[in-house]
Amino acid sequence: MSFLKTFWGLLFRLFPCPTKTGLRRIGSPGPESPVLVTCNFDLTVKRLTKILRGLNIWLLVADSKGINVWCAAGGEELNSHSVVSIVKTSEIAAKVNHRTLILPPLGASGINAADVKSQTGWKIKWGPVRAKDIPRFIEDNFKSDVNMKRVTYDLKERLDTALGSLFPFYLVGGIGFLLFARHLLMGYLVSGAIAFVVYFSLCPWIPGKNGFRKAIFLDVILVGILITTESFFGREDNVFRVYLIFAMIIIPLYGLELGGMASTMPSDLDPFLARLGIGRIGNVAFAGTIRTELLNGQRELSYKRELCKGCKSCAEICPQGVWNMDDSKRAVLDHREACTACRACLVQCEEGAIQAPKVKA
Amino acid sequence: MFSYVFMKILEMRPRSYDRRMDKVSKGRVRAVKEAVAREIPEGSLVLEIGCGTGELATMLVERHCIVEGFDLSPSMVESAKERIEMDNLKDRFRVVEMGVDGMDGLPKNHFDAVVSTLVFSELSDDERRFALKHAARVLKSGGLIVIADEVVPKTAVRRVIHSIIRLPLVAVTYFATKHSTRPIADLTGAIRGAGFRIEKEERSHGDSFAMVVATKKEDGTMVA
Repeated sequence: MSFLKTFWGLLFRLFPCPTKTGLRRIGSPGPESPVLVTCNFDLTVKRLTKILRGLNIWLLVADSKGINVWCAAGGEELNSHSVVSIVKTSEIAAKVNHRTLILPPLGASGINAADVKSQTGWKIKWGPVRAKDIPRFIEDNFKSDVNMKRVTYDLKERLDTALGSLFPFYLVGGIGFLLFARHLLMGYLVSGAIAFVVYFSLCPWIPGKNGFRKAIFLDVILVGILITTESFFGREDNVFRVYLIFAMIIIPLYGLELGGMASTMPSDLDPFLARLGIGRIGNVAFAGTIRTELLNGQRELSYKRELCKGCKSCAEICPQGVWNMDDSKRAVLDHREACTACRACLVQCEEGAIQAPKVKA
Repeated sequence: MFSYVFMKILEMRPRSYDRRMDKVSKGRVRAVKEAVAREIPEGSLVLEIGCGTGELATMLVERHCIVEGFDLSPSMVESAKERIEMDNLKDRFRVVEMGVDGMDGLPKNHFDAVVSTLVFSELSDDERRFALKHAARVLKSGGLIVIADEVVPKTAVRRVIHSIIRLPLVAVTYFATKHSTRPIADLTGAIRGAGFRIEKEERSHGDSFAMVVATKKEDGTMVA
């Protein structure tokens, strides 16, 4: 069962995979041991537990409806109430002497630190983005360096994320070919898999400012290869033909869904669907939310420096390094172009200095 | 009685929630609330956990009770407040936006009864334990708790039938709302475990629904 859940979490990340919420002991935690909060996505809790082995930690698994931290925070399944509820109902306060909660920074789009603090009395520290940095974060007295705060998407992370997001579509396509066009099934499976590895391994270096343009660039190369192989083998005998054509169709789908992946996560598909007038499919919204309107260009990040009180929250939690602090200890909107509309700064800014007003047409 | 699975979809439109819920459940959800209300002595001071739009609270007010309700959903609370305004209930029914985690802020030995319908199946185990512990704390000695909710059937055959019928309904609900409910494995045991004496357990709808009536023991074994 546990293995099946890991398998599901790995390949079907678009769907929830809940594990039991509540307090878990890692090692033999005592009254001084750190208290970490995470989501109740099965794979996250398993990976976290493995990484934290050897440390003594209280782990609060909060209800995120079985969705991973970043997605659940974006969709507000992981929110201030999830954290307040787990802190109070687990009665962790009776087990520790301190009152410091370490929260996952990618949860900052959903969890309002000030709300949690006022409702529980616990102080909030944002941990590092990647679980593997947690041991060092604890060793360094709850401090993250710049690299520990940024989402980077190295090769392994790219393949892991893309696999979790795309496998269900790949599978559905496979079943479609199996039922209706079995002679094309092998071509589809092989091309899909090779295109997947090639696209997501190379995507930071493929020219093009978004995923779709990167895919078009690859398609042009594929057309070149097709023409070259046609001229060598002749059209009838070209065994590569079906594979190349499949790859040409599949790569733009990858690019469209997962954008650039290298450092920017938003999908190009969402604004595209919104433009077509499809605002919602099931429980997934493509329009009408602050995030989608930021992505669709209907809203814009705005910053009023005079309101900033220098709490550093925005610079702490921005996974893209959009915000920095200047010499007078106020926030600076340094890299607007890197913003992926996760809304974390909007949620955390207590002073209303950071807003996302609608853009006048 | 599987229609309560659709509750989360109907919650998206709080104004028509009760009417639609009544329609899809063919009046059974309303009947459950009426049954709960009948258990409460007239004139009681009642706490309702997850009061939704205030349908049960209104029934209790008709029985001359005073109801203090809370609900986590802002739109439900909004809707309940509209009902209070429209039906002029403000002396008899008060509502706040809060989850069960806020129950530790309620005064102890204060209420005559605690009621809850179709809420515990949305809570985690910890939340359930916490809610029952604090229900016991806020109740006066001998006070009544009545909980009606979706439960796991007792026999294996019924459990299998229940799961098979329920699964597609849950999938549809989840697809529309990203939410679902979880039938409770041992509701009666959980209530007993919180220090209550079970007075009555009525199971219905293919053993998938239960109403449990219990009282706070006089000897004060409750956790403070």
